[in-house]
Amino acid sequence: MTDTTTTRRVRMPRTGASPAPDHRRHRLLLLGTGVLAALFTLVTVSVTSGQVPMAASVALRALVGLGDPGDVLVVQEFRAPRMVAALIAGAGLATAGSVLQRLFRNPLASPDVMGVTGGASFGAVILLAAGASQSLIPAAALGGGLLAAALLGVFAWNSGLAVIRLVLVGLAVQAGLAAAVNLMVVRFPAELATSAMQWTTGSLYGRTWPEVWSAGGAVVLATACAFVLHRRLAVLDLGDDSAGTLGLNPSRARLQLLMTAVALASLAAALTGPVAFVALAVPHVVRFAAGPPTPATLGLTAATGAMLLLGSDLVVQHLLPVNGLPVGVITATVGAPWLLVLMLRQNSPVNRSNG
Amino acid sequence: MISRSAIAPHSRASEARLTKLGMPNLVLPIVTTHETAASPSSATPAWKRLPLFLAGGIALALCAAFSLALGTRQVPLATVVEALADGGTGRDAIVVTGLRLPRTLVGLAVGAALGVAGAVAQGITRNPLASPTTLGINAGAGFAVVTAIYALHVTKPADYLWFAFAGAAGAALFAQSIARRAGHLDPVRLALGGTVLTAVLASWTSAVMLASKRTLDEARFWLAGSLSGRTLDVLYPVLPTLLVGLALALAITPALNALSLGDDSAQALGVPVSRIRIAGGLAVVLLAGSAVAVAGPVAFVGLAAPHLVRLAVGSDHRLLVPGCFIAGPLLLLAADVLGRLVARPSELEVGIVTAFLGAPLLAVLARKAAR
Repeated sequence: MTDTTTTRRVRMPRTGASPAPDHRRHRLLLLGTGVLAALFTLVTVSVTSGQVPMAASVALRALVGLGDPGDVLVVQEFRAPRMVAALIAGAGLATAGSVLQRLFRNPLASPDVMGVTGGASFGAVILLAAGASQSLIPAAALGGGLLAAALLGVFAWNSGLAVIRLVLVGLAVQAGLAAAVNLMVVRFPAELATSAMQWTTGSLYGRTWPEVWSAGGAVVLATACAFVLHRRLAVLDLGDDSAGTLGLNPSRARLQLLMTAVALASLAAALTGPVAFVALAVPHVVRFAAGPPTPATLGLTAATGAMLLLGSDLVVQHLLPVNGLPVGVITATVGAPWLLVLMLRQNSPVNRSNG
Repeated sequence: MISRSAIAPHSRASEARLTKLGMPNLVLPIVTTHETAASPSSATPAWKRLPLFLAGGIALALCAAFSLALGTRQVPLATVVEALADGGTGRDAIVVTGLRLPRTLVGLAVGAALGVAGAVAQGITRNPLASPTTLGINAGAGFAVVTAIYALHVTKPADYLWFAFAGAAGAALFAQSIARRAGHLDPVRLALGGTVLTAVLASWTSAVMLASKRTLDEARFWLAGSLSGRTLDVLYPVLPTLLVGLALALAITPALNALSLGDDSAQALGVPVSRIRIAGGLAVVLLAGSAVAVAGPVAFVGLAAPHLVRLAVGSDHRLLVPGCFIAGPLLLLAADVLGRLVARPSELEVGIVTAFLGAPLLAVLARKAAR
């Protein structure tokens, strides 16, 4: 038991009792640099590739409005919105997932569990059923997500937002809304069912600047909120009693964090549809790689989420022969092995005594 | 039963252990559920719960009777009894014995399997968000069936049976092999690995369905989860797996109680933790795999039944598992009857109705739970 403890410590240093904080900081810096470099590469690939191929330097100059007007038009109007939407939504989803997992102290918590994605799909599918124009769908997804949040609030709002009650109510809301979506998919004619499936898996096709500015701006704002509230999350980790002793009102802090996370996830879902995997997996990947949560790892989580979504979107756009596959298919397929490998690497025989 | 004071130190020990593994914040909910739920029942001996079980049994019998009598064609209860007794020859009697009796029996079996599987899944992972779905069972079955429809042009739900069972078992065994850590099943990894697998398989399923309209058109009805048109021929092949799974689940119930104290404490009590977890995983695969093979992926029963029963009888698995054996089919049959009544002359898929019916129930009861 004791030797297990020491090996574990050396491998994954922890904030408080960490024997080597320098080592940890070093590692975080390394990971952060790596992720940022990968993000930059993906952004470059995203603006250069497409039906009109461009050199990287030309495309990057066109992104800031320099060079041939034709190139500027292609890059700024067609490629950039989609890229920015992927970046913002990925970062927002990952941050939301990270906050929810800590808030509920449950590794399975994610916006899917809380009903946000169910709500977003519900909003989108309702609008499809009503036959409204495609451009209204993001707003409907946002409305659906907020509807789920409102239902959650109505049912769970009582004497201090106990964690277990929130989780149960979240499950119930998600199940009810998902059933509504399912009902419509089953009753729809086949063509509508296809678009409904598309929207319930998440896709970045045809994002425009107005959508990106409105939803994206809000996501950025909410992400900033999450970072500001991060300290409260750390205090809540100590348990409700200790948090109260330290002068924090646990239920109010929990409500603030919950609302931030739900808003983040709904806004991201408004941009991309409910891409399921990012919010669940990215926080785990970052925790396995970088150790216990700090504000720095939250930043790393956001960057990794953006990277995963943008990378997956590039695969959907350029590498796959099948047209119109939703990006959610790739995020899960690309992201899962990553998480599984990290999980399996922790498979050390030293831990046998822990049984 | 375990008293509250006995739980606290052990759970703290297991918490400390997981904190060492770098998962400081993943442990508390497990403790919270069992603590809140255990406290009312800890003072009550098991026999005092007997009236509750009796009431559940009566409600289930009523539901079964309704399931035989109600539907597109209403049959008076007297005719139902007559038809069951001497296999009458009237049109009503044929409807009852030929269509509704098999459907009701299938519903009972599927509901019981899902309920018990859910209780065991939550017990072995010690996670209130777990259910057979968490272990990848529904997603595995769904992907296998959709692929079979796409590649092999299979068309009848009865033909999906073996594809569904194979897919469910394959996915669940894969999830459990991911979760093995130095020869032991790690509960956090089991839940997480299963959820990841579910996400991947679900996205592949929708990819196949988006690639082929014909597949989408056929699979979407099966994917909603339905009892319509199921005959006893569908049930017979999975009966052995159902019974073995049920026996296994009942056999490990005392050990699941010990497991809820945390792995270290369970080990100290002499419970073979990893063997119990593997046996439990196997029981879930057998039960939920058979259920999904017969009725398609009905997600909500396995999740909701244990929570509903826990609110009524507490978290003692020796009561919880039999309770789910009653509550599972109760939820499923009630939903099936309602689905037949609200959309006459057509019907709503039972998987959709269970979620519609069970979701508000769970939400309302959750308000009481944490009080």
